[in-house]
Amino acid sequence: MRLNDVVAGYGGGDVLHGVSFDVRVGGITCVVGPNGAGKSTLLATVSALLRPRRGEILFRGEKLQGRTPKQVLQLGIVQVPQNHSLFRDMTVRENVEMGGFLVRDRHVLSERLERVMSLFPIVSERGKDKAGSLSGGQQRLVEFARCLMLDPALVILDEPSMGLDPKTLKVVFDMVRQMRADGRTLLLVEQNARAGLRLSTHGVVLENGRVRLEGTGREVLEHPEIGQLYLGGAVAPAAAS
Amino acid sequence: MQTLALYVGFGLVTASILCVGAIGFTLQFGISNLFNLAFGATMTAAAFIAYICNAAGLDIWASLVLGSLGAAALSYLLNRGIYLPFKKRTTSLFTLIMVTLGVGLVIQYGIEAIWGATDFSYTLGPGRSLHFAGMVVTTTQLIVIGIAVGAAVVMHLLLRYTRLGKAMRAVAVNERLARNCGIPVRIVADSTWVISGVLSGLAGVTLVMDVQTLNSSTGTEFFILIVAAAVLGGIGSPYGAMIGSIIIGVVAEVSAGFLNPAFKDITSFAILIVVLLLRPTGVIRSVASAKEVAR
Repeated sequence: MRLNDVVAGYGGGDVLHGVSFDVRVGGITCVVGPNGAGKSTLLATVSALLRPRRGEILFRGEKLQGRTPKQVLQLGIVQVPQNHSLFRDMTVRENVEMGGFLVRDRHVLSERLERVMSLFPIVSERGKDKAGSLSGGQQRLVEFARCLMLDPALVILDEPSMGLDPKTLKVVFDMVRQMRADGRTLLLVEQNARAGLRLSTHGVVLENGRVRLEGTGREVLEHPEIGQLYLGGAVAPAAAS
Repeated sequence: MQTLALYVGFGLVTASILCVGAIGFTLQFGISNLFNLAFGATMTAAAFIAYICNAAGLDIWASLVLGSLGAAALSYLLNRGIYLPFKKRTTSLFTLIMVTLGVGLVIQYGIEAIWGATDFSYTLGPGRSLHFAGMVVTTTQLIVIGIAVGAAVVMHLLLRYTRLGKAMRAVAVNERLARNCGIPVRIVADSTWVISGVLSGLAGVTLVMDVQTLNSSTGTEFFILIVAAAVLGGIGSPYGAMIGSIIIGVVAEVSAGFLNPAFKDITSFAILIVVLLLRPTGVIRSVASAKEVAR
């Protein structure tokens, strides 16, 4: 995916002021930045929930702007929103099935469900339970399971670490790595910049709606100025491994 | 004891009509986040469509079907033509409720302007009374109960086992997330308004079949009990509406029988207030409590 000079915003004002960067195929790209940097606006624009005012977003050479959210999903781009993104009063299994709503072929749907259940045992173990009864970490895993029902090429994760304890965070990040190992590309936005960049192959620092720095996850993590601004001091090379 | 059984029997008939109406009303709220005060007027309109068909020589069951289809069309048009444009202009929740109240009054007084403030009744075939465990119900009332049970079963199967039903539940819980999953929210909402319109029509016509009298305010007056049943069950929850209807229906008829018919609404709402004091979300956790009421 390539974002090229993207300008977008709400009402009369722009939030993104000419954002350009690449989301590399098969990698994990993490966008970090302070509150108000435009991270959520960026995700809304990429998911076609917000139309860019200028610039273009290309996915596998095709323009995303002008497409509906449904068409973006059909291209193989899915987004896992921030926390509370399950249908709480529906069962775990129904939640996962909703992720495959666009798949009309029952055979394909059932195959995907089987695959997702083998990857996320919680879907079969707690399948009949209400999604709202799961813990925060379990809910995250079900959200991941749901997003895989469309067999996406690009998975966008909005704050995957939000509200998770360190132990659960490790499980969730392991699943992110697993998705990458399965050949998917990941774009994530993280408030927990240090954890997000450690997980990622590429990092993008967004500030006031502009790209401040771009590089590998480690480069961004070790950058002294960025470290001072957002990470409470740059990470020593040894600690970053 | 014999008298109690008799009133419980009446209560089950009322509960059946309530159940059909309350499911329709609560579905509309769940999907559209709209407290539609015109629901009772739609019931009346359906009852009048059935009356026209019946007076023209159609039997009551064909009239029931046509009345329900008419209500479905009216319900769809009201949502698409009036409510949705207001919602798109991000009208406040209070204003929207006032709009539904206005629409209800226009329908009610429109009917009165055409047919006058007169009572009408359907031509029903000769029924007979059935006695069971101290209860007395007519064959027509038995069929009304059957229609309610059938409607509840169909709604259960729809909501649990079909794509549309699951999508309806998903949209009711979280519209934004449903859109994120690729669920066509607009089509789901349209379908819901058509289905709830059918239910309002069924409730309106079966109500008149039961009470045997129809005027321009028949649906609106009964609507008060529908609101009580839907809120008691947990507004937005079809299963809650079913439970709420049985409670309100039986309590209303038993209190009317033992005390005075004027106590019907009083006891129903007293029960509603007590239950909501003990369990503010209703019998089943309401959709309203799971999402923002005003978007």
